[in-house]
Amino acid sequence: MHVIINNSSMIPVYEQLVEQIRQQIMLGELKEGEGLPSVRSFAAELKISALTVKKAYDKLEEDGLVITVHGKGTYVAATDTGLAAEARRRAAEEDLSLAVSKARLAGLDNDEIREILEMILEEE
Amino acid sequence: MIKMNELTKVYKDFDLNISMEIAPGSVVGLIGKNGAGKSTTIKAILGLIRPTSGKIEVLGKDPMDFSAKDREEIGACLADSGFSRMFYVKDVIAVLKKMYKDFDEEFFRARCKEQGLPLDKAIGDFSTGMKAKLRVLTAISHKAKLLILDEPTSGLDVMARNDILDMLRAYMAEDEERSMLISSHISTDLEGLCDEIYMISNGRLVLHEDTDILLGKYGIIKLSEEEYAKLDKNYIVSAKKQPYGYDCLTNEKAFYMENYPTTAIENSNIDSIIILMLGGEHTDVKEESRS
Repeated sequence: MHVIINNSSMIPVYEQLVEQIRQQIMLGELKEGEGLPSVRSFAAELKISALTVKKAYDKLEEDGLVITVHGKGTYVAATDTGLAAEARRRAAEEDLSLAVSKARLAGLDNDEIREILEMILEEE
Repeated sequence: MIKMNELTKVYKDFDLNISMEIAPGSVVGLIGKNGAGKSTTIKAILGLIRPTSGKIEVLGKDPMDFSAKDREEIGACLADSGFSRMFYVKDVIAVLKKMYKDFDEEFFRARCKEQGLPLDKAIGDFSTGMKAKLRVLTAISHKAKLLILDEPTSGLDVMARNDILDMLRAYMAEDEERSMLISSHISTDLEGLCDEIYMISNGRLVLHEDTDILLGKYGIIKLSEEEYAKLDKNYIVSAKKQPYGYDCLTNEKAFYMENYPTTAIENSNIDSIIILMLGGEHTDVKEESRS
């Protein structure tokens, strides 16, 4: 599993961890039943505290994304495909709204924005 | 693994009074200035000094009552410990084999090779880094449940420190029940290794917090005099006067980022926390806001 921690980010390390693992599960890069690294070995690999990793795993479990089997390890839970689709939709919405605010900064009005979108859709 | 309750040790010019707990499977860091009491704490845990009062339990026993067998469960690495200068590493192997039932010779030899420690050279001719590596290796080669390390990386270059920290991480990852207490001046070494940090000063505990919280929730706010006067000080742990106003240590940086969006807020690290908590003229904010 590939996770990149930014130690100088204002976002707490455990949140960075949760977000990146969540994304990999949602996008299907981590499959149902796949095991996550053990808390200690993941902590050693990322050079962060084991408690941070544990906190991230706990949060993911709370959100129903992983299951921890005591004494065995942490595994990716069966993802609700509806939920995953919803998450992908939300990500797309966020990106689009970002594009809209950029367009506004550039002084484009609604019609112009629609025109650009139509153009992009046609090109596809 | 370790339970210390109101443990005191009184010397003529120094006294220690500390409570601490180390759970199985955890890595605990001990930080503080020179002479803060780190080594005294470690000596009490190892049963090398008799406490004046208070209770201490290590692996379920009073360290003063340790048998030779109990000591085998502990791996220790002290600043001024070491083997005779005349010894070769192969002599060290012979000694460890006799001392520890669970000494893993194969592991020890493999690490020596990996870390560039020659078996047939007198330890007296080793570099500082090589001696430090040998000390740590000695502590981790007999499957101890508890590791006690006093300044294992002190005086080493960044590469040697990194090698040692990686060996310690591997040791912890091997068995989730193992615990470790490590003291260091070099707080970045502890940031990437410890689950919890105890900060001591003048023989007293001044801060005990999860590393995760120290790095994730603590922060430093830089303010002018006027801004400082108006600041909500509910989550300010300590403040220090600066030429431009104040540096404040908060344990809720998210609160200030949200409510004071134009203020300069930085991530803190253990070093900056030490300076703000222990540094010269620090203002006790809680006292001030009460009066």
